[in-house]
Amino acid sequence: MSLLEVRGLNIAYRRPDGRLGPAVIDAAFSLAEGESLGIVGESGSGKSTLARALLGYCRPGGVITSGEILLEGTDILRLDRAGVHRLRGGRVAFVPQNPLSSLTPHLRVGSQVAEAVQLHRACGAREAREATLELFHAVNLPDPQRLAGRFPHELSGGQRQRVVISAALAGNPRLVVLDEPTTALDKTTETQVLELVQRLRERFKATLVYVSHDLNVISEMCDRVLVMLEGRVVEEGATAQVYGTPACDYTRRLIAAVPRIDRDPGPLAAPSAPEPLLSVAGLGYRYAAGRRWPWTRRAAAERDALSGVSFDIYPGETLGLVGESGSGKSTAAAVIAGLLAPAEGTIRFDGQPLPPLAAGRSAQTRRRIQIIFQDPLSSLNPRHRIDAILARPLALFQGLSGTPARRRSAELLEALQLDPGFLDCYPRQLSGGQQQRVAIARAFAADPDLIICDEITSALDVSVQAQVLALLKGLQERSGTACLFISHDLGVIGQVAGRVVVLRDGTVREAGATQAVFRQPANEYTRLLVHAASRGYARLPLPPGALAPAA
Amino acid sequence: MRIDAFALRKPAAVMGLLLVVVHVALALFSPWLAPFDPTELVGGRVEAPGAEFLLGTDVLGRDYLSRLLHGGRMALFVTFTGVVAAVVVGSLLGVAAAYFGGALDDVLMRICDIKLALPGILFVSLFITGFGESFVVLVTLIGLVYFPGVVRIVRAQALTQVNLGYVKAAQLRGESAASVIAREILPNTLDVVYVEFAIRMSHAVLLLSTMSYLGLGLSPPTPDWGLMVSEGVGQLAFAPWLVLFPAVFISTLVIGLNFGAEALANALGMDASRGHVGGT
Repeated sequence: MSLLEVRGLNIAYRRPDGRLGPAVIDAAFSLAEGESLGIVGESGSGKSTLARALLGYCRPGGVITSGEILLEGTDILRLDRAGVHRLRGGRVAFVPQNPLSSLTPHLRVGSQVAEAVQLHRACGAREAREATLELFHAVNLPDPQRLAGRFPHELSGGQRQRVVISAALAGNPRLVVLDEPTTALDKTTETQVLELVQRLRERFKATLVYVSHDLNVISEMCDRVLVMLEGRVVEEGATAQVYGTPACDYTRRLIAAVPRIDRDPGPLAAPSAPEPLLSVAGLGYRYAAGRRWPWTRRAAAERDALSGVSFDIYPGETLGLVGESGSGKSTAAAVIAGLLAPAEGTIRFDGQPLPPLAAGRSAQTRRRIQIIFQDPLSSLNPRHRIDAILARPLALFQGLSGTPARRRSAELLEALQLDPGFLDCYPRQLSGGQQQRVAIARAFAADPDLIICDEITSALDVSVQAQVLALLKGLQERSGTACLFISHDLGVIGQVAGRVVVLRDGTVREAGATQAVFRQPANEYTRLLVHAASRGYARLPLPPGALAPAA
Repeated sequence: MRIDAFALRKPAAVMGLLLVVVHVALALFSPWLAPFDPTELVGGRVEAPGAEFLLGTDVLGRDYLSRLLHGGRMALFVTFTGVVAAVVVGSLLGVAAAYFGGALDDVLMRICDIKLALPGILFVSLFITGFGESFVVLVTLIGLVYFPGVVRIVRAQALTQVNLGYVKAAQLRGESAASVIAREILPNTLDVVYVEFAIRMSHAVLLLSTMSYLGLGLSPPTPDWGLMVSEGVGQLAFAPWLVLFPAVFISTLVIGLNFGAEALANALGMDASRGHVGGT
């Protein structure tokens, strides 16, 4: 008998105009005891809504309009309030995406988990404390005794997620629903958490529902997979079969869009001149710590955000800058762009020393270096139409205004495969991928020689990411613009960058030709990154033009 | 700007906006609506309502209905001008404090702290005693009383903008500070500014009528509800309507402004009671 059976489930959200917009349409699946099911899809596909419904929960404004969710034969949608309370954290547990916001900031993590234990196992405080330490031990938290007395903000992201997982296990759940549990974590931390979940699954014999946008993770974690698109389950089956021979066109496109480090990126633009366009030597930056009194000097932060960073970018080429959060890669972007003044080191641009801040650079230099930011929505002013957003750099750098500016703006949008009709839209009316393409258009409006791309596809879905990268590559080739491409994703770096610099804790760990570095990392940390990035590949079909497996 | 039209159709919102419209219309058209000149002695003292004077006359023999209809005119004009001054000055200072930070921010915020720490009525009475009760003084006073709050709210809203991509992009283009503030930051604080204006209006109307009642605001013979309450208090036992009607007019105006502010905040996706802006 199956543990979970979902039949004809429909969920809708109330829209501002009062009507219901469907979020999940006719979902039906069953899950056997001990099985793990992946739900994969892009943002807005309804995967999280479906997963939360398994706990009898809907976000505010959501309504389960029809269907049944049978857990061990009882319909959880018909439970009364008390029944739902017993269900959640009892028979069904939930692990959310952001561990920091799911832990109460002012309670020690030990007592938070102990509370869950006490509630669901109906035991005394002393017993609950022991059970908590046991759970902490089970999730591989170092020194459970001491760690239990800490507050959530004193733990690292990976440790927090372990605490949340241990709280989920407090009630000995039959079904554990994990909603993007590693999306907020670095790749190397993700690896550890995924291994942990695998081990726990065997040990506690729990049934898993694993929601993710990441096909690699799903392929590694799940026996079966549901592919969702716009609220519908478009494909369902054993993971190996779905990935190997996808029946649905959408699944095929999704798999093809995953950036993989073992895929041959095809020809990448080579440097078009022997002299470097940008030359960075011994770059250092320190964030100032807080001041104690208004009249005392600001003390320097304990650790350098950047220290001794050196690299060159040649005209026309793309240099990848890869690193995890806190590696200093965005600081490097801000320093080169002229938002922050470096504490030490020199930057030369086209042979000339580059003044530290944008205000001190000539208009020509400002035009020649452009930056594109990570979050597309916040990089476009919500009060301005796309027209006005593109008109400003055109007026400042090209001296265009009126009809010629409008014509040039339309050309730029067309170069990024956007409808020129968008010129009269506000950023909010565009999708994330469209917004990011407008941001790219704004950067290219200045006709730059160097663009700095700071995690520009991190906020986008994989299929959109593939499109944006292809468009950027095309533009870059036509204009001969050099690019400093910053990303945490080795797969993306592999697709765009001929050379790569690996950054960790503000220092360069390794640098060289991308394919060489990825295939034979010389540095221990790079090896870890490459290992984390190639997880789950064994179960994905080989992409077209794949490279031979690394030795 | 995104306006949620639904929030404007709630009963409280409709009532609030209706009350504000009626009061503004009264203030604008009272000279044509009122049967008599509100300052002219036209009858006996405290005449009861009747055919000639629909609501009777006041303690000096002026037509009471005419005075009531005129009673919001001056008060609304003074508060409107004062609050506009407070909101305009406060918004500019708030945005500047957020954008430039540093010493300017420190000094401005300390000035606001000092103003907010002073007991309101003490400040008002000292100010009026020192400078008199002219129109300019009253407008200045209202501006001074309300600008620190505006500075704080607008500064907080602007602070969420200064590190966003479009502001950085403008700085990297080499735009001047004035241009970044005017083009990129200020337009994104307008939601907050509108709501601030509506909330401060209701506070200011209440403040001015309190001041007039205490003899610190508008001076006789100006027809004003606050003054009329204070003039009528002596007749409370014989002619309670002399106090009741102006009180009702003040209350409906303040209630209307409050509901209107709340509706505006909801329509713009904010929470007026907590004075904070929700997610986008």
